Amino acid sequence: MFQDYILDTLIYIGIYGILAISLNLEAGYTRLMNFGKVAFFAIGAYASALLSIAGAPFLAGLVVGILLSAMFGFLVALPALRLRADYLAIVTLSFGEILRLFFLNEQWLTNGPMGLRGIPQPLFSVLDNNYLVFYTVMVFVFLIICYAFSEKIMNSPFGITLKAIRDDEDAVFAFGEDTFRFKVKVFIIGSAMAGISGALFAHYIAFISPDMFFPSLTFSVWTMMVIGGSANNLGVIAGAFLIQFLERGTRFIKDFADLGIEPSNLRIIIIGILLILFILYKPEGIIKERKRIL
Amino acid sequence: MILRVKDIKKSFGGLIALDGVSLDIKKNTIVGLIGPNGSGKTTLINVISGFIQPESGSIEFKGMDISSMKPHQIARLGICRTFQLTRVFRHMTVLECMLLASKTHDTGILKLFLNPGEVSKKQNADIERARNILEALDIGHLGNEYASSLSGGQQKLLSFGMVQMTQPGFVLFDEPVAGINPTLANKIFEKIELEKKSTTFLVIEHNIDILMNFCDEIYVMNKGKITAFGTPQEIQCNKSVIDVYLGG
Repeated sequence: MFQDYILDTLIYIGIYGILAISLNLEAGYTRLMNFGKVAFFAIGAYASALLSIAGAPFLAGLVVGILLSAMFGFLVALPALRLRADYLAIVTLSFGEILRLFFLNEQWLTNGPMGLRGIPQPLFSVLDNNYLVFYTVMVFVFLIICYAFSEKIMNSPFGITLKAIRDDEDAVFAFGEDTFRFKVKVFIIGSAMAGISGALFAHYIAFISPDMFFPSLTFSVWTMMVIGGSANNLGVIAGAFLIQFLERGTRFIKDFADLGIEPSNLRIIIIGILLILFILYKPEGIIKERKRIL
Repeated sequence: MILRVKDIKKSFGGLIALDGVSLDIKKNTIVGLIGPNGSGKTTLINVISGFIQPESGSIEFKGMDISSMKPHQIARLGICRTFQLTRVFRHMTVLECMLLASKTHDTGILKLFLNPGEVSKKQNADIERARNILEALDIGHLGNEYASSLSGGQQKLLSFGMVQMTQPGFVLFDEPVAGINPTLANKIFEKIELEKKSTTFLVIEHNIDILMNFCDEIYVMNKGKITAFGTPQEIQCNKSVIDVYLGG
């Protein structure tokens, strides 16, 4: 039982870790204020779930989920990335909410507020007792792939250009790079990764509904990135680990002490205080951005 | 003529920043651009490099009209500009800045996975070239330091190193030696002079002595207009220049 709990925690760390890496590419390395991360997570989740329910194999659902997230990433990026940072934040935030309302209201497709039930879990009948172990391994394989992919592109000329855009977009222009194209590309990659994360989430819990995709999820991932260490892929995974640990840890406190406060509220207070402390005293996060030695 | 600027006009609200500016710049020369603060020098560079659209007038580079092009398109034609306040990529090392400036790098993502060997081969060649340039500027030992940790003078050297890295045909240089000690300033201009055989320079600079030594021709601007033009000797003797700029 306790082992299951640990595995469940690890699966969530992996799923959020992938989301945090995807946000890190956009916001950490390139400073694109994507406040609509949850939208691309939701697209991956719904697309993959709907296809699986309709009988498609898990991998097909996953691939379509990734492609659809990437496509919507592209469509949102085209108008949004021409905006200044704060307006980009507003547009992406609204997109996430619009999409959630779409899932809530288009009952013919998404079953509305009742959500999608019985999302098939890959290889469930075969593995039976070892299912959590299998799923943990699978999530971590995807996490490692996303990590390696992100490291690879950040160590390439493409990545150098992204970092330069973060520091001074005009100067990058002056060196002959069309910065808009770079921003669109990284937005598509980030959205595709969020799609992977969403699909893994949907098939793990086997039930999704629109109320799982509130903007608070986006901000939770932002917190992981800021506290973990923005522009450091290991850092943001550490952030995902810490936030998951706190979210779950606070649930147990009520077993040991009478706080006179709901544990879920305590959780928000603790994470909020932690975020403030990090921004004030350790803005680079748990693991700070690595200097690349050439 | 490598660059012809004809009758450029640009105003910001009620302020006329450029009031019919024309320049003709010959290939492989160093041309100075001087004038009091607010006379429109930086605006002119912004217009030539495409960061600001002029209201009227034309700009021809090697016979091609570039006045409606975007900054990155102009940069790709080989016009490289630097910025007045040395722009520093805060989270990047000196070598990373140099790699960014390279024109031979592959920034494609697909190629990174389909042909990683070629991408890293090119990058290694770029790193090698960057090291040589930095070495020649006496900042070779700073390659792996953050660009923001460099001193003012070193940042100017890096700025010039990045210009060399792009191998431009034409450089718009905004105050390459502002705030630098005279010895280093002379050294930077000696390097610029060495590059003259393959590159043309339009240089904004307040250090008159240096311009007199190194420029082939000088334009003087005042209140959005070109008020004088000539060789350094002619400019030095021009009464109106002495009045508005040299402060006779």
